[in-house]
Amino acid sequence: MQFSYEVNDSYAEVKSVGRLNMVAAPKLREVVNEVVAGGSSRVVVNLSETDFMDSSGLGALIGCLKAARQAGGDLRIAGVQPQVKMVLELTNMDRVLTAYPTAEAAFGDD
Amino acid sequence: MTEVIARRGFHGPSNEEAIQAIHNELDALWDDASFVPDMDRMTFATAVIEAAANIVQHALPVAEKPVEIAVDISVRPTRLIARVSAFNAREPFANDMQASMPDSDAESGRGLALIEALVTTMTFERQDGTNTWILTRDT
Repeated sequence: MQFSYEVNDSYAEVKSVGRLNMVAAPKLREVVNEVVAGGSSRVVVNLSETDFMDSSGLGALIGCLKAARQAGGDLRIAGVQPQVKMVLELTNMDRVLTAYPTAEAAFGDD
Repeated sequence: MTEVIARRGFHGPSNEEAIQAIHNELDALWDDASFVPDMDRMTFATAVIEAAANIVQHALPVAEKPVEIAVDISVRPTRLIARVSAFNAREPFANDMQASMPDSDAESGRGLALIEALVTTMTFERQDGTNTWILTRDT
């Protein structure tokens, strides 16, 4: 699992590559906390190369969403693949973590 | 009916490396049983990893020997079966056996509820210091 990020004018994009499981979940929290602490509270997590997520990965996304909102921003997800979509739907979290087709589209409307 | 078409397993210390190894065994299993539909692979692999992660995160040793994890996954003509075991482990706390979905802002506690939604049957056995979750999915 690898994470990288890029800060744009209107949002920061965190790219998640590989399996977002209990091993990777704490690393995602670290990266997003670093991005938010750096002043970017509008965060998109790009999941287009994440083919697996478990409940630990989902928990990390929820923690990151809370961190972004506490800093006055928001966290959105993009490029969701079928397994991640399934986990979001079965846990009813698709209503809380809004999925956008691409990172660019996630904050494109505001 | 009970014919095993493909089988993979893992047995080792209960830690993060075990989770990665079990992921790899599942990938290899689907290579051996390519007829299993994508939807069944995806749902069953998710359930097995959830059960294994539950052991790595929550299982406590019963004595000095550390907890070990074992997974035995088999593909049968119309059914996938996984036995996910924690050896040298205490009986799980009732809280860790909670199978209802928590509030939407909770950051943990969804594992067992998710497993229940993914499999056809989930049973739990405890025998001689070993906790075993048996997951099946009809294909």
